[in-house]
Amino acid sequence: MKIHLNGVQKTYSTLRRETEVLKNINITVEDREFFVLLGPSGCGKSTLLNIIAGLEPVTGGEVRFGGRLVASVNKKDFVQPKERNVAMVFQNYALYPHLTVFENIAFPLRIARAGEEEIKSGVEKSAEILKISGHLQSKPAELSGGERQRVAIARAIVRRPDVLLFDEPLSNLDAQLRTATRVELKKLQRELGITAVYVTHDQVEAMTLGDRVAVLKDGLVQQLDTAIGLYERPANRFVAQFIGFPQINLFETEVKNGTFSLCGADFPAPAQAPSGPVWAGIRPSDIELKDAGPLNGRVDTIELLGRDAVLYVSCGRLEFAILSERKDFREGDAVRFSLNPGKTHCFPRRP
Amino acid sequence: MKKRFFSSLEPYLFVAPLALFVVFFVFIPILGTVWSSFYSDVTFLERRFSFLQNYGALFSDPGFWKSLRFTLLFISVAVPLELIIGTAFAVVLDLEIPLRGLLRACVLIPWAIPSAISARIWELIYNYSFGLANFLLAKTGLARGPVNWLGTDFGAFAAVTAADVWKTAPFVAIIVLAGLQAVPRDLKLQAKIDRANFAQVFFKVTLPLLKPVLVVALLFRTIDSLRIFDVLYVLTHGGPGGATASVSLYAYKYFLGGDFGYGSAASVALFLVSFALSCLCVKYSGFTEAAS
Amino acid sequence: MKEETLVSALTFAAACFMAVFSLAPFLYMFATSFSASPDYLTGGFNFTLANYSDVLGVRSLHFLDYLRNSLVVSFVSSAATVLLASLAAYAITRLEMKGKAAILLFVLAVSMFPQVSLIGYLFRVMTELDLINTRTALVLPYIAWILPLALWILVSYFAQIPKELDRAAVIDGCTKWQVLFKVLLPVALPGIFSTALLSFIFAFNEFLFALMLTTDYQSRTIPVGIALFQGLHGETPWGQIMAASTLTTLPILLFTLLFQRHIVQGLTRGAVKG
Repeated sequence: MKIHLNGVQKTYSTLRRETEVLKNINITVEDREFFVLLGPSGCGKSTLLNIIAGLEPVTGGEVRFGGRLVASVNKKDFVQPKERNVAMVFQNYALYPHLTVFENIAFPLRIARAGEEEIKSGVEKSAEILKISGHLQSKPAELSGGERQRVAIARAIVRRPDVLLFDEPLSNLDAQLRTATRVELKKLQRELGITAVYVTHDQVEAMTLGDRVAVLKDGLVQQLDTAIGLYERPANRFVAQFIGFPQINLFETEVKNGTFSLCGADFPAPAQAPSGPVWAGIRPSDIELKDAGPLNGRVDTIELLGRDAVLYVSCGRLEFAILSERKDFREGDAVRFSLNPGKTHCFPRRP
Repeated sequence: MKKRFFSSLEPYLFVAPLALFVVFFVFIPILGTVWSSFYSDVTFLERRFSFLQNYGALFSDPGFWKSLRFTLLFISVAVPLELIIGTAFAVVLDLEIPLRGLLRACVLIPWAIPSAISARIWELIYNYSFGLANFLLAKTGLARGPVNWLGTDFGAFAAVTAADVWKTAPFVAIIVLAGLQAVPRDLKLQAKIDRANFAQVFFKVTLPLLKPVLVVALLFRTIDSLRIFDVLYVLTHGGPGGATASVSLYAYKYFLGGDFGYGSAASVALFLVSFALSCLCVKYSGFTEAAS
Repeated sequence: MKEETLVSALTFAAACFMAVFSLAPFLYMFATSFSASPDYLTGGFNFTLANYSDVLGVRSLHFLDYLRNSLVVSFVSSAATVLLASLAAYAITRLEMKGKAAILLFVLAVSMFPQVSLIGYLFRVMTELDLINTRTALVLPYIAWILPLALWILVSYFAQIPKELDRAAVIDGCTKWQVLFKVLLPVALPGIFSTALLSFIFAFNEFLFALMLTTDYQSRTIPVGIALFQGLHGETPWGQIMAASTLTTLPILLFTLLFQRHIVQGLTRGAVKG
């Protein structure tokens, strides 16, 4: 199912003021795509997901499923969630605490007045896919967090929805389980061949899961690209900072005649860089330690990550984070380094 | 358009039955009472508008002032006692003791029994010749002779207050207990690590945190005591000589006698006092924030 | 070590005192109900079951009539109250509407009115409608009187059920009514049970309305019945009163012991939490 969001706007009005949560969102989610909405809290990503689900109306623009109009400013265009054939997985699982696992999964089918046979086979199949067949008679309270999330997913897929929506489904799981479930989710989506829209604030989840990722902030799409595209060609300073770990180095400087200077050394600016005041950015992994490097500094702090280490190196009044495989440095050591050519970014800055 | 109108109205349909009941059986009767307080309205006599005449008579009746004085005096003695005893009970109930649930249920029982019934038990306890109170006084030798509990002003006041405190302290205890259980354990532990003793922990840490709960209990109890009726009706009938007649009882006697105008005027006076207290309650207990 | 022993001894003493303080009057009631005459403390105790056989057997005492009236009135009032309060609490916690705070505050303020300021008017209206001395005359104002409390308790229960549960139900295809009946009400069941218990107790204990709006055994409830209890002979029939009180109290006592957790929860919600 292809989803079109055309100029979607959402404004909440209370007696005192109006809050514009989504300003002008234009996104097309391709059929069978795993699409991720990424952004910090309050950026409007969950609201957008609710709009796709049909839990909230839009106050501007329109939403189309395939060719079908499902929401627009006109209230009579609004299509209820159950007519959209979507399913949703929530952060806190939203399982019905008074029902057994079996009845939780069966719930959407019962509401749709499916026959007993169909319900039984549907539930068993979903439970099998999610490996929770042994828990069907338990109540949600008796399950672990990971098992609950599986039940929630089983409930979501039992009706064979056209679109699967995820609202930060892994946030309540511990780190290990999160990684394992992430891999399974992607596999599940591929096997079922369903369009998925996934909301998260975690850039690692976004990068690993998403065929494409839309970065949202202040109700606007900052950039829509593949994970690699976001990492290598951030469209603005916000995206550059939000994506990638350790965080990108950013320094205030100016572009003059196609070059900018840092710590007294000049570097060529990227081809499309604006002239004038800029934020110059370089990822920690794109800085190379070498004795012939144009920059020199002193190691302030070392963070060991396992395979790599992050060195925080001060150079004049600037501090660079540098990702290095060498772990034999000590605090106070003098180092020389260079910036990999072609890996620098320049974003316009208000002086 | 029509459908949209209805869907915006729908939430109110859910509230409507409740609202109708409250409006018809509480709100309109109040207005009706205010209305009839401006009339000379006695059974078998012709009803006529008399404006403030009832209020004039009311305010010049020493019996009314006596009942108001009793009501306020009763509140100022009974409510603090209820709060102190209730809080003390709550502290014990908050401790880790065996059979805590059973003790909690025991404390609840006086509250759960109809006051009319417990008032009758108290009436027997206060009986001059064979009641439990005088029997115990005689056995322990605390009083020289039997006390005429319900026949003297002071005795009746004490008797009524004791019966009411006994019945309502559990309510305070339960509310305060909830407040106590909301006090973070870490805080108490921290105080203990700082070598505070039990009393210090209670007065320096727990009590300040309980303040909001105590304020709510205070206002609830005050407003409820203001309308005290059943204990008095059963135990003393307002006697001796109107010494324990609350405003509610005072007004009730006029309704019973068929003087609806005058009874209404007395209830409106009580209602105004209680309304003022309700406003205070709403203002200071944080209900406004909770509602929004 | 010594201090601990002292503390636990004090605690034990306090707990005993609380139990005695709360229950002594009932023991006294219980003892009196089995005594041939109420002056047994000084005059000697003669065990008898006559008080019970009178209360249960003598029709003109109407104890069973009062009890039946009380049970019917309290049951109907509490059932209706819980139903109406649930609907309203659902709308207030879940639906988009203006004036939620106003409704809650209005209802709260109303619940603080003194009953005496209603009875004159209610008496007249019930007389007009020819409902005086019927159970209906009690049920109607009882519902209105208990609704505010029930609403506050239920709103606090409903508000605590995560909104995602409704959203999940809507996505799963529920209509508003299905969300209420298939998800919210079942999930809030413990809260609804607490509310029903409290409503029942309030209705069962109510005195002033019952005193004003009933005239005889056809609709009179237990509290008024016991308050106005006339014996077969002239003087106050203490033995019978205490027997009737015991018969009324024992079920409530058991009820309280069994469901104290629910009662406490309801009380605390209504009063502390908001």
